[in-house]
Amino acid sequence: MTRPATLTVNGEARPLTPGLTLHALLRDLNVDPARVAVGVNDDVYPGARAPHRTLEAGDVIEIVRVIGGG
Amino acid sequence: MKQHPHTPDPFTLGGKVFTSRLMTGTGKFTDFGVMREALAASGSQIVTVAIRRVELRAPGHDGLLDALDWDALQLLPNTAGCRTADEALRVARLARVATGVNWIKLEVIPDARYLLPDPVGTLRAAEALAADGFTVLPYMQADAVLARALEDAGCAAVMPLASPIGSGRGLRSPELLRTVLDGARVPIVVDAGLGVPSDAAQALELGADAVLVNTAIAEARDPVGMAHAFALGVQAGRAAFLAGRMPERAHASPSSPTGGVVRLPDPEVPV
Repeated sequence: MTRPATLTVNGEARPLTPGLTLHALLRDLNVDPARVAVGVNDDVYPGARAPHRTLEAGDVIEIVRVIGGG
Repeated sequence: MKQHPHTPDPFTLGGKVFTSRLMTGTGKFTDFGVMREALAASGSQIVTVAIRRVELRAPGHDGLLDALDWDALQLLPNTAGCRTADEALRVARLARVATGVNWIKLEVIPDARYLLPDPVGTLRAAEALAADGFTVLPYMQADAVLARALEDAGCAAVMPLASPIGSGRGLRSPELLRTVLDGARVPIVVDAGLGVPSDAAQALELGADAVLVNTAIAEARDPVGMAHAFALGVQAGRAAFLAGRMPERAHASPSSPTGGVVRLPDPEVPV
């Protein structure tokens, strides 16, 4: 039996649909891409220019934004 | 007669010239309106922000980037919350693509109780970030040996703490700060722990180039008034540093002439 393929998105496991791209993931999550930065493993992208990079099982994705801080 | 304009003299940081020596954080403000007014009252030209994960269950945006005029302000994202050099590297790179700014206030803080920085991880991350083209401003303990190493690593400034972050306890180790200031080749920005404008003035009087304040302004009863007060404190401290303080003495030294004092004949008092 094979385990379902998953991604880690902001620290939580999420099932991976085959062929899912980073661009499509942001859309599926309903995140305004203009407001965020995205990391896929060691790569980083401005959300607004999230590529149609096909995501793979085990990818670690961070979606972050700027907030108040010191 | 020499003029003394009540404006601070400029200093250069990361290749840019600033006239305000007060940097302000954007954390802990109750709303953007107060934050905007406080930042205006502070006169700050360098403003820090944090990077956090988007809440995926309720996406939306904080709106901070819309709330301020970033053409007029230097944005300084931080790596607050990072416990290791590797976490800080990741957050710095995310901050750069999120903001389009390559300045980073480097924080590597494994300890949550005192929020004291990891000197080894900070140096390692500073070296990597400077090599990657970042303008690096590392938060650190007031340690002269580490400060020189961070300068050698290519940091644009060094940011020794006054006392633990958010503690408002003021400058607790001025002697150590003095050793960091002595021979510094980059601006020294005292960061963390300043509680009142006199703390900021003290740091500038000792020769710090600037200070960074957040909680003392955001948690004041009147944040706008306190931001203004800090701006004055920084200006007073800088002006005093430039003017040069008097030497400290162990004993009193009369301000008035010691000769010609009016005396009554009193055999009990020696002449």
